Amino acid sequence: MESTIQSAKKRDNTVNNAFASHFAKSMFLTVVGLAILVFIGTRMFTHIDLNLYGYMVGTITFLGGFFYRFISWGERPPTKIIIKKGLKLLFRKSTAKTAVSHLAIYDFIKKRGFYRWMQHILIGWGCVLACLVTFPLVFSWMYFNMDGNGYYTVVLMGVDLVRIKADGIIAWFSYNALNISAIMVITGVCMALYRRMKNMQARAEQKFMYDFLPLYMLLFISVTGLLLTVQNVFLHGWMQPQMSLIHQFSVIVTLIYLPFGKLAHIPFRPMSVLARNYREHYGEQHMKECKVCGDKFVSVEQSNDVIQVLGTNNMEFNMEDGFNLAELCLPCRRKYRIARFSGFATHQVKVKEANQNARG
Amino acid sequence: MVKKRLYLELENCIGCRSCLAACTQCGGHEQRNRNYVYDVNPLKNRQTMPLMCLHCVNPACARSCPAQAIQIHETGAVLSALVEKCIGCQNCTIACPYGIPKFDTEQNLMYKCDLCIDRTKDGIPPMCASVCPSNTLQWLTDEEIEAKQKQFNLDNGKWVTSMPYLEGETNVRVNLPGILQGVTKLF
Repeated sequence: MESTIQSAKKRDNTVNNAFASHFAKSMFLTVVGLAILVFIGTRMFTHIDLNLYGYMVGTITFLGGFFYRFISWGERPPTKIIIKKGLKLLFRKSTAKTAVSHLAIYDFIKKRGFYRWMQHILIGWGCVLACLVTFPLVFSWMYFNMDGNGYYTVVLMGVDLVRIKADGIIAWFSYNALNISAIMVITGVCMALYRRMKNMQARAEQKFMYDFLPLYMLLFISVTGLLLTVQNVFLHGWMQPQMSLIHQFSVIVTLIYLPFGKLAHIPFRPMSVLARNYREHYGEQHMKECKVCGDKFVSVEQSNDVIQVLGTNNMEFNMEDGFNLAELCLPCRRKYRIARFSGFATHQVKVKEANQNARG
Repeated sequence: MVKKRLYLELENCIGCRSCLAACTQCGGHEQRNRNYVYDVNPLKNRQTMPLMCLHCVNPACARSCPAQAIQIHETGAVLSALVEKCIGCQNCTIACPYGIPKFDTEQNLMYKCDLCIDRTKDGIPPMCASVCPSNTLQWLTDEEIEAKQKQFNLDNGKWVTSMPYLEGETNVRVNLPGILQGVTKLF
């Protein structure tokens, strides 16, 4: 009794109780974190680029949607397990390799098709590059100072990083980074649109809102962004202020939409690294043996997790003859099903299942 | 459009595996079949039975998916994992009471029967049912299934259909009237 009171007291004093919800806590901590970073990066708010304040507000609105979507998603029992156990295993040796393969070079997409991999690399890395340039500028974590004539000082997080020639190669890449990323994204999106128009399978399955809208939004951003450069270089800045507002609008709308449509897989994808770690780690620990054939088919940990998750949904596959389906490996599970249909114990016949290869 | 279901009369199966061949040709299946045909008593006789995804009303695969990659179509079909969402944890393969989902380790992607959703959403039968030469796999309305049930039901509890013989309510109906009742069927 006493101990329960004590633990209740302990719980009352945690930071979590300062917030009405998980959402409020995440939102508060992130915004405070951003403010601190901006404070440091802008040398105590003296170098804020107010031209970009719309993006700042847009980012914070995006964070609201992001936390709303992903906290509710993380509450699902299977998701919770993978996130919790995956994060504990984050410092496995293989994490770096898996992360590069899954998140940087998209190996698994290459196996799904070279064309799709190419378009994904172009869109993915185009967007990453654009974000790496845009957000440090929006929050003024990075800005350019011209102290001496002809030289820019790159200031990163309030620290003078490097002096570069204003017409040098590094400067050229800095000015044109967003143009390069725009061209990458436009090429990738056009490839994706072409595939969606030509591929019969894609045509049968695609929906405008889910499959086309995100592509059009990326195109909208890239084209308006590129037009800004065109207006500067070729049209002496004609209609540039208007276009910069249109571009800002396109970015903010996409940011707000991002957690809810197809693009939600971007912030969500690192989960695959956690899942891989989870499988590898527990696979090395203890494998579950099939009750019928003795094959090791899955880690005990994962099997128990799945049983527990199904239990929360009131699903338990206990059979009349004392089996639980979770104890059977997949071929035996299928044969057991045939046995239930036919009345003959197919799973007890010690013959390897006939060829069930998906390619025949 | 009248709602139709996949209906399996298992003992009709002659083991030709046309359903598997047709499955590979469905849009989105990328030359791979997504179902199974099993020998019932492999060393003794030639009886085979197809094992298809039964499209549970409350599917264990989707319930166990941490990524919400397995979605349920408005027709009741439990779809294959969304390629951009599937994280390759393989929870679905070990959750499914029938062992249906297949997994491609190279593509890090699960795939399963989607009831040829590009066809069935427009009322066209799935590939397997449209090629089956022995009427093992049929595409029927609920009335037609009920008529079949009446035709074969001998009140001896041996009508094996989806409930209560399966783990939960399914959208695909399964039936074995002949073998269990000792009836020889004439085609």
